[in-house]
Amino acid sequence: MTARPHLYALGAIVVLGLLAAFGLREAVVLDLIFTLLLYAVLGQSWNWISGYAGNISFGHAIFFGCGAYASALCVTHGLTPWLAFPAGALTAAALALVTGFPTLGLRGHYFSIATIAVAALVETFARTTPWLGKANGFELPIASGWAALQFPQKGPYVVLALALFAAVQLATIALERSRLGYYLRALRANHAAAASVGIDERRCKLIAFAWSAAMASAAGVLYAQYTLFIDPPSTLALAISIDIALIGVVGGIGTLWGPAAGALVYVVLAKAVALRFGGAGKGYDLVIYGAIICLIAALRPYGIVGTIVDAIRRRRGALA
Amino acid sequence: MSEPLLQVRGLAKRFGSLRALDGVDLDVAEGSLTGLIGPNGAGKSTAFACIAGAEKPSAGSVCFRGREIAGTAYHRVAALGIGRTYQLVQTFADMTVLEAVTTGALLRRPRLRDAVAHAQEVLAFVGLAEKRYRLGRALTIADKKRLEVARALATEPALLLLDEVMAGLTPAECAEAVELLRRILARGVTVLMVEHVMEVLMPIAEHVVVIAAGKTIFSGSAAGAVRDPAVIAAYLGSPLEHSEIAERTP
Amino acid sequence: MNTFAQLLVGGLLTGLVFALVAVGLTLVYGVMDVVNFAHGEFLMLAMYGALGLALLGIGPLLGLPLVAIALFLFGIVVYRVFVRRLLAGPPEATVFGTFGLLVLLQGVAQATLTSDFQSVSNPPLQATLRFGPIALSQATLVEGIGALVLTAVLFAFVEYTETGRAMRALAEDRVAATLMGIDVQRVNGLAFGIGAACVGAAGSLLMLSYPVYPTAGAPFALTAFVVVALGGFGSIQGALVGALLVGLLEVFGGFYLAPELKLVPVYVAYLAVVLLRPQGLLGRR
Repeated sequence: MTARPHLYALGAIVVLGLLAAFGLREAVVLDLIFTLLLYAVLGQSWNWISGYAGNISFGHAIFFGCGAYASALCVTHGLTPWLAFPAGALTAAALALVTGFPTLGLRGHYFSIATIAVAALVETFARTTPWLGKANGFELPIASGWAALQFPQKGPYVVLALALFAAVQLATIALERSRLGYYLRALRANHAAAASVGIDERRCKLIAFAWSAAMASAAGVLYAQYTLFIDPPSTLALAISIDIALIGVVGGIGTLWGPAAGALVYVVLAKAVALRFGGAGKGYDLVIYGAIICLIAALRPYGIVGTIVDAIRRRRGALA
Repeated sequence: MSEPLLQVRGLAKRFGSLRALDGVDLDVAEGSLTGLIGPNGAGKSTAFACIAGAEKPSAGSVCFRGREIAGTAYHRVAALGIGRTYQLVQTFADMTVLEAVTTGALLRRPRLRDAVAHAQEVLAFVGLAEKRYRLGRALTIADKKRLEVARALATEPALLLLDEVMAGLTPAECAEAVELLRRILARGVTVLMVEHVMEVLMPIAEHVVVIAAGKTIFSGSAAGAVRDPAVIAAYLGSPLEHSEIAERTP
Repeated sequence: MNTFAQLLVGGLLTGLVFALVAVGLTLVYGVMDVVNFAHGEFLMLAMYGALGLALLGIGPLLGLPLVAIALFLFGIVVYRVFVRRLLAGPPEATVFGTFGLLVLLQGVAQATLTSDFQSVSNPPLQATLRFGPIALSQATLVEGIGALVLTAVLFAFVEYTETGRAMRALAEDRVAATLMGIDVQRVNGLAFGIGAACVGAAGSLLMLSYPVYPTAGAPFALTAFVVVALGGFGSIQGALVGALLVGLLEVFGGFYLAPELKLVPVYVAYLAVVLLRPQGLLGRR
């Protein structure tokens, strides 16, 4: 399928986003849009390894945390937070390599278990290490301007989130039309046949996973600069990994627009849960999220967008 | 006389205490079509798997283009110049025909545009061009096999390994397959095929290697194979029945 | 030296309980190729069940079989209603599906039960026994021996009964087993139920010395995954060996490193084993 319709859709979203960023004044709405975009980025990053590569990650929060902590560390050491983008990305990619190198050439569950184990290790490490703030985390000092990557209004943050979302979507469009994209698809379709045409599973998946981690890290940097407070529960907790997986699963694993759709559903759902049950901590949100993941897994494993794409393909008579 | 493209010596493979291969020797001359035959349980599939890199031999050597390749990681074999098909066809069910062959072409042509162009050419060559947008799962068995050959050809192999490609084909489909084989040879690709369907293989194979009980028992022309007493004994056990095959062999 | 002996015995006994937690997981994997990521939540439910019975005055001797049976039935229901459908879909679905079950059960527990750590007010078996230089609580000893006995029972079941043989056949070669006329859905369901029953028994034992709270299952679950990977997915003997090793690693790690870091050597061991010997110590796959 050509990229053109996707590029038009992305362009439309960017235009709408910019209008909102410059036109709207209500902080609540801008906050919602920022959160939505950030979750879409996180969902897409998860999608690269769990959807396109087919290896489900249950610890994706740690890559988000890499960026957030990198940002906090840069700022508290007097460096510009823009450095956190490469620093966080490299750290995240390194963690991805450690997790993926032993496991991405084996059956899927080895990898998934490894993501849980590494996530637990990283969370424990951050919680107990002094220079990482231990359990208290970091409060970022207030600053202003593009160099400090901090702004008094929410508009510029939305613009940055929009830029990140656009970049990630463009990268995914490119992935689908690249050798790596084809190879990942082939690996999911038929493992033996893929090897017979020279596809190196571990290498392909490691590359996808490293990029996935880097993308999540970028979202983490923005988050830190937005909320100005990070600690292990807000950036490294299992709950965040669950949210990310939910977005990816509901939207549709392995699809271009799945994460965006999933993020939309999640944001609406989270708001509804908060209104009805008064916020997380009592477990009601987990009941709903868990039930949704179970239903999707049992009935519509390819999520919202996956099911739609499947229906379109069938209609087009590709099966004729 | 130039070096054979593929030279197998003393190939042995044990699965626990079972000796599947116990000394297989095999030569494949460049540009030829060599048949690998033998009675059921002789070890043809195991030998094939060892040559293709899917199994690591317990002993022996597999020399391709003068280089030892036994024990190479399976996914590196294609890059060395060996393509293969599977006895039980392994289709990319949800990919279109063009996408599947493009996946093969990407090995030597990393840029998608070049790979697609090459894939189109290969599809035209094997005769699947009109079906290029069909999903893999929607093809007939003969077309699935054809697709698998196209996918392997797209990796631009010097040696094409075919595993019982004629199995399950009607006589008309077999004839088409033979015609495709001739065109593949004309393109300069060497072919080694494991085959059970004798009537098809014997007329076209320039060279035949017979395996029985894990060992090579004959290597020579097809005509020589049907008259060789060791081959007859391995297959049939009775000198009377072999005459039917002998009649079909030039 | 006394400390070493103490840690050694403690580690082995802990490992025995881990084995009981892990064999259910490895059985389910062997028979139907599914890693039940909700395994820890089943354990948590069992612990709460045993606690509830204890509060009603039903001691562990009767409580354990009751909880095991309850979990067995629960496992069969979960298989019939949910896991069976997962098996019909793409492989990723079994992974995130059981993960969804984890989230769901965790949510239910948090929503209906208090998050406070709970335990029985007059816990049984708290007396300390002395074997030479080694001091053990009765509970720890009972847990270890109980786990060993039950693991042996499970092993005997799988080796010698017809259903057990059917399970091994499915584990070995699913297609051939189906052709032999084995009712796959029935055997799968039984395997899932038995796996849950094992966890039920383990939960009843663990309740004797560990506090019970909604997220109590998680660390045991992760440990169980490591145990199964170490021992080899699908191997019951492997689970036992792996569990003993992990038990030792955890106890020694907790002592020499720091209590909250006791799982670090376990996770590092997981990555090392997967890197060096993916099929585990005794596994076939």
